[in-house]
Amino acid sequence: MPATLTGYEARSCLGDAEETFRGLCAGRSGAGRLGARFLPDEVGVTSSYEIRDDSPGLAHVHRAAALLGQVVAGAAARAALDAKQLRVVAIVGTGLRELAAAERWHLDGSPFSATELHFGDVVRDALPGVAEVLTVSNACSASGYALALAQDLLDADEADAVVVAGTDSLTLSLLAVMGRGSAQPSEAVRPFDRDRRGVLLGEGAAAVVLEARPSTRPGAEPALGVLHSVGLSCDAHHETAPHAPGIAAAMQAAYDAAGVTPADVGLVVAHGTGTALNDPLEAATLADAYQSRSVPVTAIKGGTGHTSGAAALMSVIVAAQAMRSGAVPPITGLRDAIDEAQGLDLVTGAPRACDATLAQVDAFGFGGVNAVALVGAAT
Amino acid sequence: MSRAHVVVRGTAVHVPGLAPDALADVVRVEPDACSAEDAHKVLGRKGLLYKEQATRLALCAAQRALGLPPGRVTTPVPGAERTAVVVSSNLGNLETVCTIAATVRTAGYRDVSPLQTPNASSNVIASTLAIRFGLTGPNVMLCNGATSGADAVRVAARLLRARRADRALVVGVEPDDEISSRLLAQGDDSQEARPLTAAAGALVLERADDPAGEDLLVTSAGVVPPGAGLPAAPVAEPGQLLLVAAGLAPHPHHDGSLVVDLTARIGETYGAHGVLQAALAAAWLRQLPAERRTASAGAVCGNAADGYASLALRRGPAPVAHIPAQQPVAAVLATAGRA
Repeated sequence: MPATLTGYEARSCLGDAEETFRGLCAGRSGAGRLGARFLPDEVGVTSSYEIRDDSPGLAHVHRAAALLGQVVAGAAARAALDAKQLRVVAIVGTGLRELAAAERWHLDGSPFSATELHFGDVVRDALPGVAEVLTVSNACSASGYALALAQDLLDADEADAVVVAGTDSLTLSLLAVMGRGSAQPSEAVRPFDRDRRGVLLGEGAAAVVLEARPSTRPGAEPALGVLHSVGLSCDAHHETAPHAPGIAAAMQAAYDAAGVTPADVGLVVAHGTGTALNDPLEAATLADAYQSRSVPVTAIKGGTGHTSGAAALMSVIVAAQAMRSGAVPPITGLRDAIDEAQGLDLVTGAPRACDATLAQVDAFGFGGVNAVALVGAAT
Repeated sequence: MSRAHVVVRGTAVHVPGLAPDALADVVRVEPDACSAEDAHKVLGRKGLLYKEQATRLALCAAQRALGLPPGRVTTPVPGAERTAVVVSSNLGNLETVCTIAATVRTAGYRDVSPLQTPNASSNVIASTLAIRFGLTGPNVMLCNGATSGADAVRVAARLLRARRADRALVVGVEPDDEISSRLLAQGDDSQEARPLTAAAGALVLERADDPAGEDLLVTSAGVVPPGAGLPAAPVAEPGQLLLVAAGLAPHPHHDGSLVVDLTARIGETYGAHGVLQAALAAAWLRQLPAERRTASAGAVCGNAADGYASLALRRGPAPVAHIPAQQPVAAVLATAGRA
């Protein structure tokens, strides 16, 4: 059943949810020099899309948890959600959990415990009364998977509201394997561009409140949008490379569950990581699904970097904001599109007027875990 | 949402070095569970390079739960395209991540092997299971602390009831490396800190709209957040099997039940605990004499920091009134008491 997005919040290198959307519309990139916690020579990576160290609440803490707590509290506040009054479950998607703090514990003896690897404590602090917190570690589609599990919970009437979130910060180990795997350091994510040099990690968190129907609680903001379906699949093909049949299966599962066809979709927020492998494959799969139909396609990672576990929800929020505001942000960093994307209506340069009422949001992760969400405008 | 039942079709308990009599009063467990180093004896030699201990043990348990003979699987198992994978593990790739970080700090990124790349992602166990057995259904990696194993069974049951898959492979696994053992002992009070035991449990679950009388049903599950006491006993009647959370005494009503503290028997299995409990419960129910048509087994896992999660399994005719997959939490809280 469709579920209502009754609250939302995000934090990225571009700011909160509204600042991120405005920044994307302005074509801003949050890329910068790698943060002071890492040394470019050590990891072989020079740039990232991190949140500034002097941002509120980020000094000397476990960053993935701190960002998560902020967006969960923010989304619950917009929805006027009181977890002590309703059956509220929280599902957190993450790629790297709090492994950055585990690394510091191992290297420097910084205080850390196994309980802090997952996010139960921080969510219970941000959302007092929450009945259950699940940490789903599903790589770069984690918050898309979390969204699917949340919709199933509502459908089964096992919860009145589900707070779905995603969070990730950077780890030394992932930076190093990325540095090891790239021929030359990338300085910006350029989705679908011929001159793309690969992905860069972003830091961020996003949360939405999902409920079976719009909220009538006093103080609740108007709904952001409607979640129609999430299609899930696994490539079962390669540990790190994407695979077209798996991606197409997730898209089809989303269409089938929502009872729609690509002809009903008016906007696509692509996964668009700016890597050699993802972009041609995703572009070709989209072109195949949409045939010759001209559907605006955008992607956010040129502005926000790849926020991994938060990426799917960031894109869901941007899709809903685009339908609400009537403007689709352009793809930051895209100048000259790859051949595989020639059949797609990629949004570049400036925001595009938008009257879409249904948007497709792609998220694909390491290990071939795919989640494709269909998000509708608020009714 | 479907009110279909969830039944157990296969189990495996894979604990290398398990003492022959450790679980003899519960069920006969394969005495020769191979270690991660010897995983090729079950899995064949190919494809194990740079596979972590937890991944290898998970593959071994899955191979047996799926009913496959030893040797490398070369084609997708039957029904693979509608089979989901749900894995619980908290520490599976911790040693790799910490070791890569130490290598970076002392020598730089060029000394990190590219073959370690998949292991930097915490979902490597779940995706490796999917790749080996060709399982293209939803693929979920749970890293949810001490309740994670029971959570995995609950998530798998939901995926089946939501018809996202027809079958689910559930695996709980933890390694026993020194870094993981040390982290688990951090910040814990000394009563809860126990050395890790490398172990994997696996279940194969299916949705059944009309289960047969001898089927094993996953009948209920509940959660209690930390600080809110203990969950109600997952099985109500005496004379059953009750698997308890580490160090917790059984509910007083359970006189005559077989009460098992798995952690006291085999050691700390953390994120694997709930799946191991469910696999043992299913195996115990299955080996009961045929004349005992109806029987139940319950399990509670968790700890004070993460809260508790419970599961119940049942053999016998399906209950007329369906018990929801998750009891309303308020109801569980209302009946929760100190054991």
